[in-house]
Amino acid sequence: MTTPLFDPRVPLCQLPAGAMGRVCAITGEESFVQRLREMGLGEAAIVRKVSGTTTILCQVNGTRIALNHDAARGIMVEQLPGNAH
Amino acid sequence: MRAAGDLPVYAMVGNPNCGKTTLFNALTGLRQKVGNYPGVTVEKKEGEAYSQHGRPMKIIDLPGSYSLAARSPDEGVLRDVLLGRRADTPAPHRIICVVDASNLERNLYLAHQILDLGRPVIVVLNMMDVAIGSGQRIDPSKLEAALGVPVIPCEAIRGKGVVALRLAMSRADLPLARHRWDVPGPIAPAVAELQASLVQTDGRAPLVARAEALLLLTDIDTLRVEGSTTLSPQTHAVLAQWRQRWAREKMDWSGTLIRARYEAISRLCAGVINRTRDLGPSWSDRIDRVLVHSLWGWLFFALVMAALFLSIFMLAEGPMGWIDTRMTELGGWVKASLPAGDLQDLLVNGVIGGVGGILVFLPQILILFFFVGLLESTGYMARAAFMMDRPMSKVGLHGKSFIPLLGSYACAIPGIMATRTIENAKDRLVTILVAPLMSCSARLPVYLLMIATLLPKNEVSTPTKIGIMFLMYLVGTVGAFGFAWLFKRTLFKSAPPLMIMELPPYQAPRWKEIARQMVERAWLFLKNAGTIILAISMVLWFLTTFPKHPDPKVGVDVQIAHSLAGRAGHLLEPVIKPLGFDWRIGISLVTSFAAREVFVSSLGVIFGVELKSDDPAPVRVALQAARWPNGAILFTPLVCFNLMIFYVFAMQCMSTVAVVKRETNSWRWPLFQIGYMTGSAWLICLVVYQTGRALGF
Repeated sequence: MTTPLFDPRVPLCQLPAGAMGRVCAITGEESFVQRLREMGLGEAAIVRKVSGTTTILCQVNGTRIALNHDAARGIMVEQLPGNAH
Repeated sequence: MRAAGDLPVYAMVGNPNCGKTTLFNALTGLRQKVGNYPGVTVEKKEGEAYSQHGRPMKIIDLPGSYSLAARSPDEGVLRDVLLGRRADTPAPHRIICVVDASNLERNLYLAHQILDLGRPVIVVLNMMDVAIGSGQRIDPSKLEAALGVPVIPCEAIRGKGVVALRLAMSRADLPLARHRWDVPGPIAPAVAELQASLVQTDGRAPLVARAEALLLLTDIDTLRVEGSTTLSPQTHAVLAQWRQRWAREKMDWSGTLIRARYEAISRLCAGVINRTRDLGPSWSDRIDRVLVHSLWGWLFFALVMAALFLSIFMLAEGPMGWIDTRMTELGGWVKASLPAGDLQDLLVNGVIGGVGGILVFLPQILILFFFVGLLESTGYMARAAFMMDRPMSKVGLHGKSFIPLLGSYACAIPGIMATRTIENAKDRLVTILVAPLMSCSARLPVYLLMIATLLPKNEVSTPTKIGIMFLMYLVGTVGAFGFAWLFKRTLFKSAPPLMIMELPPYQAPRWKEIARQMVERAWLFLKNAGTIILAISMVLWFLTTFPKHPDPKVGVDVQIAHSLAGRAGHLLEPVIKPLGFDWRIGISLVTSFAAREVFVSSLGVIFGVELKSDDPAPVRVALQAARWPNGAILFTPLVCFNLMIFYVFAMQCMSTVAVVKRETNSWRWPLFQIGYMTGSAWLICLVVYQTGRALGF
């Protein structure tokens, strides 16, 4: 059984532009996390990164969402194969 | 129960940017009333539409919201009105849920919560064209079958579907929702117990109570909004008991409930949404790739902001001059029509002078509101706020603080009113507190006069003039950011904000809406600021006229020295002498405490100059000739410079104070603002003057 050479989980801010990811875990201030989930960015949501490394732009199921750095840092995603260009 | 024949009250709800406002305007036309919810600075919008049979129906346009679990005062008001918690706005009979068809599942989250309330609901499936354009086919009839309530497809921008909506609203009977879903098992006993308490002790209808119980149990850190009734002690006790139990058991009911709801929505939407093909990135995405995170994006941003800034200053000049002339003419007419005396003086100098002063700024305010409306309508505003978030957060401010601060360059009053979009209360407060430091246009007459006095040549070269003015603006801006940084470090410490913002797709601007909003906001501003300024102008007139000098033939300058304002100036002198100012400047400081631009005319009066227009020339000559009792020049270059610095920092605008009081709902903050601004002005001017003297200026 081979272990992957790298951990595919990254914070959302480090996901490459154009890549898709599945949200694994969300940390942060509780009421903010609640709002994230209500807007569709919950665990198991598929998110497509549009751009940015500090403030970021991403797409969740038809919604274009902007997040600042502290918020994006708390969202861990697992990069999915393939690009969505 | 509402008796048949009563005027039904509709509430219109939906996510931000779902086209709700366009629909509301289409239904109500000009029959709208805009005001405020008492106790909280959230806009209250009501209107009247006519049913199919010609009977009037009242519609309340509630603030756009993502969920009943409110995270901002706007959303808090929506929640409280729907739950019947506001005494000033009884719960509506029926609810129109506007839903963005291109983003159906997310939009249905709020709609799903509202269906829980058990009231008659009409779902409007708006932006059908956008959905089709993005490769989704939505079947309204399937959705109607799943939800049990009428579903009306719409393209509000084009007016499509409005007739069908009106027909649906005119129906005497509306079916209730049949979107049965099960509250997750373990949470059910808590919901049942809390529901019972709400029905018995808070007088809620059963279904509303169930929805409210669900909300209370799962909303983390509930936001309280002024003006809403509180829960009874019994209900509080039940709630607290369950919450404590779950805290001990480490249950995350919030997450579980949200997931359950989205799963229910997913099942409802099965067969409703047909994704024909994945079209890849939309136009908005492509534009955003350039505009948001690249150099071109920043250049574009700088261009837009420059256009905003320049229009406010250049485009407004013509209209401002026109208004000024009309005001002077009006004053002349009053002078000619009324006999000379106090009444004539009050009307000409007090009322017309004061109110005219604020009317002159109307063009700038209109331009600012126009730009803000244009940016919001096209969707660029959200991007601008997002891009400015990083630099602004370095001083502890919010990206959304940017437009209010930029607007404050024209006038702090609409700038402060624009801070309502900032959700975080502390960030909003800090923005309000520092906004007046952005040198507003009222300071311009002061700068211009001082520059004219300070420079020895008769003709001031334009580059020098612009250079000095730019310096003043820079000092003000640095001051604003400096104080913001200081406040966020000390008084208003809060954790670094976590920002999430939905970016609406780019759209062609909706001119009619922009124009309507512009006029609405400007009118509100005039009403609020105008009445206060009128009152203050009259008070000031009184202070500068009475008590009268026993000899009626003395000049105006002696007259004003004798008045209450003059005495205040004398009293002030020991305090402002270390700044290089004398009692005559002191009088002007007192009078311009109402409005900065009064400074010029006050100085004119004090030094016995008849001011015929804005031309500073005659005043300048008089100022340059002014002397201290010991013969020293009063208006040395250092003093002129210092006076400008004073005006950069001091809080000299009662209208701003009034608006701040209204926007913060207390006197504490406006008083604090006066204190810190005028206090720091005094301190900085002291340093500047003393250092300047020591250096030999």
